[in-house]
Amino acid sequence: MGAISRAARRFYARQGLLIVIIAALALEATSIIQYYFSRKGIREEAAMRAESELEATGLRITGVMDQVETAVHSNVRQVRERLGLPDSLAAVSRDIVEDNAVVFGSCVALVPGTDRAFAPYSYQSADSIATIQLTGEAYDYPSKEWFKVPLEKGEGYWSEPYFDTGGGETLMTTFSAPVRDGNGTIRAILTADISLDWLTEMVGNLKVYPNAYSIMVSRTGRIMVSPVETLVMRSTIQEAATKLDDPEAIQEINRAMLSGESGNKSIRMDDRNNEVFYAPVQRAGWSMAIVIPGTEIYGNVNRIGMIVKLLQLLGLALLAFVIHRIVKNQLKIKEVQERKDRIENELHIASGIQRAMLPKTYPPFPERDEVDLYGSLVSAKEIGGDLYDYFLRDENLFFCIGDVSGKGIPASLVMAVTRSLFRTVSARESEPDKILSQMNGAMSETNESNMFVTFFLGILSLRDGTLRYCNAGHNAPLLLGEGRADFLDVQPNLPLGVMEKMKYTAQETHLATGESIFLYTDGLTEAENEGLQFFGEERLRQAAAKTAGMSARAQVDAVDQAILTYIGTAAQSDDKTMLAIRYLGETPAETSEKHLVLHNDIKQIPQLAGFIETVAQAGSLNQGTAMSLNLALEEAVTNVILYAYPEGTDGMVEITAIIRPKKEIEFIVDDSGRPFDPTLAEQPDLELGVDERPVGGLGIHLVRSIMDKVSYAREGGHNILKMKKLI
Amino acid sequence: METIISIDGANVLCALKGRLDTLAAQQVSKDIQPVLEHAGGTVTLDCSDLEYISSSGLRIFLTIRKEASRQGGKVIVRNLRKEIGQVFLMTGFYNLFEMQQA
Repeated sequence: MGAISRAARRFYARQGLLIVIIAALALEATSIIQYYFSRKGIREEAAMRAESELEATGLRITGVMDQVETAVHSNVRQVRERLGLPDSLAAVSRDIVEDNAVVFGSCVALVPGTDRAFAPYSYQSADSIATIQLTGEAYDYPSKEWFKVPLEKGEGYWSEPYFDTGGGETLMTTFSAPVRDGNGTIRAILTADISLDWLTEMVGNLKVYPNAYSIMVSRTGRIMVSPVETLVMRSTIQEAATKLDDPEAIQEINRAMLSGESGNKSIRMDDRNNEVFYAPVQRAGWSMAIVIPGTEIYGNVNRIGMIVKLLQLLGLALLAFVIHRIVKNQLKIKEVQERKDRIENELHIASGIQRAMLPKTYPPFPERDEVDLYGSLVSAKEIGGDLYDYFLRDENLFFCIGDVSGKGIPASLVMAVTRSLFRTVSARESEPDKILSQMNGAMSETNESNMFVTFFLGILSLRDGTLRYCNAGHNAPLLLGEGRADFLDVQPNLPLGVMEKMKYTAQETHLATGESIFLYTDGLTEAENEGLQFFGEERLRQAAAKTAGMSARAQVDAVDQAILTYIGTAAQSDDKTMLAIRYLGETPAETSEKHLVLHNDIKQIPQLAGFIETVAQAGSLNQGTAMSLNLALEEAVTNVILYAYPEGTDGMVEITAIIRPKKEIEFIVDDSGRPFDPTLAEQPDLELGVDERPVGGLGIHLVRSIMDKVSYAREGGHNILKMKKLI
Repeated sequence: METIISIDGANVLCALKGRLDTLAAQQVSKDIQPVLEHAGGTVTLDCSDLEYISSSGLRIFLTIRKEASRQGGKVIVRNLRKEIGQVFLMTGFYNLFEMQQA
C-alpha cells in the first residue's frame, strides 16, 4: 500500500472519529436535557408527594389534638360547677379518659392559694382506669409547665413533650386549659395527656420512599420523632446538626421549622444528598420533616440515565464499528480500485508493447510498387495475443498472421516470441514448411505454459506473384480479385507449439496483378452482435468481396466498418486483426510451348538457332541465356542425330520447349532411337593437360553445366530427355 | 561460318566468323588444315566475330592446341566474346590457351 493510501486511511479514521464524537456530543446533550427535565419532574412529584403527606399527617395530628382539646373544653363547665365539691373532680378526669380513647390521662388540678393543693389524675392502666393524687413530696404539680403556663397565660396550652415518669411512663404531651369561676378567676387547670406513641408511629410511617424517614420537633426544637431513638427527647436538631456534613443548611432548616415555616431544602448528609421537606403542625407549634435520600428520588432517573447511557455507549460503539467497517470497506474498495488501475495500466503497457512490435509505417516499402499492404490490430479490453508481421528479402515478401491462445500478458509475451522466431527463422530459410517446422520445434521445446499459436505464413514473390504458403491451424485467408472472393485452399495442420515433431506441408498459388490476400484472426469471424450471433465466415467473405480492386488500406477499413456495423453496441471481445496484401507486380505471360521436329541429319542443326530465337522471344531471354540454351539443346540434339539411329536409317527427333516466363525454360528431346541415357556419361576431367585431353565427351558436360535440371526416361520406345533452366 | 587464314612466316592468324555449330565444325575442321601445318609457330585465333560455339567447335580449338603442343608452337585466343568465354570456362579450355583481349 502506498503513501497515498496511508494518508487516506488516516483521513478516513479521523473522519470516523469525528462522526463518533459529534454523535456522542449530540446524545449527551439530549440526555442532559432529558435528565434535567426528568429530574425536575421527579423532584416536583416528590415534593408534591412529600407535601401532601405532611399535610395529611398534620391534619390527622390536628384532628387528634382537636379531639383532645374538645374533650378538655367540653369538661371545663363540669369542673367549674364542681369547684366547690373537690372530691367529685376526679370523676371528671375519669370521664375524659373513659370517653376519649386517645386520651391517656387527665388531671384536674386546683390552683393552690385559692384552694388547697388538689390534683386527681386518672389514666389508662392495664384494662381499667386508675386515679391517683398528684400531690405530695414526689410531685410538685404547681411547678410543672402544664400547670404554670396556662395559669399564667390564661388560655389553653399544649405542653412540650415529655417523658411522663409519674403516671404513664411514656412520651407524652399534655393539653391544659384554665377553668375560671363566675368571677373570671382561674380556679383550676384541666388537662388531658396524649401518648405520643401513635404520633411516633404515624410520623414514623411517613414513608414516601422506602429509605425516607421523618422527624418531628417540638416548638423548642426538641426531637420528638426520629428513626434514631437515642436522639428522641434528648437532643435538638441544632445539637444533632453539629455532627453533620452541612451544619449551616441544617441550621437554616432548623430555624425555618422552629419559625413554623414550610418548605424544602437539599442538604448533604450521611455522605449523600437528601431532600428535606418540612411543614409545621400548627396547633402544637411542632414541625415535621421528611428526609428523602436523593438516590431514592432520583434513583429511577439515575437508573434510567445509566441504562440510557449504556445504550448510548452501545450505540456509539456500534456506530464506531459501522464507521470502522465502512472505512475499511472504502479503503478496500479504494485498494481494489488502485490494483485494478495498476493492472489496467500494465495491460495498457502490454498492449503498447504489442502494438510497438507490429509494423506500422505505411506504406512499408515506398520504393516497391509491386506490393501494397496494410495491417491493423485493434486490441480488445483485455489484451490478446494477435500478431502480424512482414519483411522483404530477395524479392520476396515474407508475411505472417497469428493468434496466441489465451489472453493477457502471457499471451502477449508468447506473441513477442512468435514474432521474433518468425523474423530469425525466415531470415535464412525460404521454404514456408521448413520455416514453420523450425518455429514449431523451437516453440514446442520451451512451451511450458502450453500456449499455442495458430499461424499462417506466406511468401509472395514480387517478381511474378507466386504465393507459397504454409498454414498452422489458422483461419483460411481470402483471395480477393475482380469477381473473386474465395477462401484460400489451406491444409489445416496443427497450430505451432502443440506437437514438437509436426510435419507441415507447403502449398502454392498465384496472385495476378491487383489481386489481394486478406488475412485475419478469429476476432473477426467470432465478432458477436447484440444477439450473440457470430459475424461468421460467409459475412466476412461477402464484406471482403465488395472491396475487390480497392487499396489494401481501403480493404481493411471496409471490412472493419462492416464488422462495426454488425456488432452495433455489443462490446469487442477479442483482438481484431487484419492484414491485406495486394500484388501489383507483373503477371507473367502464360506458359507457352514451341515445337521443332528434325531428322537425324546434322544439316538440320542450324534450325536450332531460329527455334531458340522464338523461345527467347517468348521467354524474354537475354542473348547470353539464349546462347547457352542453344548450346545445351544443340549438344543434346547432336547426340541423338549422331548416335541414336543406326547409320543410314532415317530417324526423327522431336523438340519441345516449354516456356514458363520469369521462371524456367524446359526442353524435352524425344527420339525413338536405341535406348541411351546421356545422364550416365562420365564426367570429363577438366584438369587434364593439352596432350592428355580427349577431344570428345564435352557435349553432355556442357548440357549439365548450363541446365539446372536434367533427367532422362525411356517411355514407350522413346528416349525422353528433359532439361530445365531457371530464368 | 567463315574462316580466314593468313600466314606470315611463323605467325598464323586465323579469324573465325559466325556460328561454329556442329554442322559448321565439319567444314571448319577442313578449313583449318593450313593452320595445323603451321602450328609450330605462333597461331593466333581471332574470335572477335565468333558468335557461337558448340562442343564440336571446341574440338577444333583443342585439335589446333594439341598440334601446336606437338610442334612446339603456341596458340593465342584473341578477343573471345564473353558468352563464349563462359563456355571455355565451363569446359576447362580457358587454361589451355593464352588469352588475349585487344
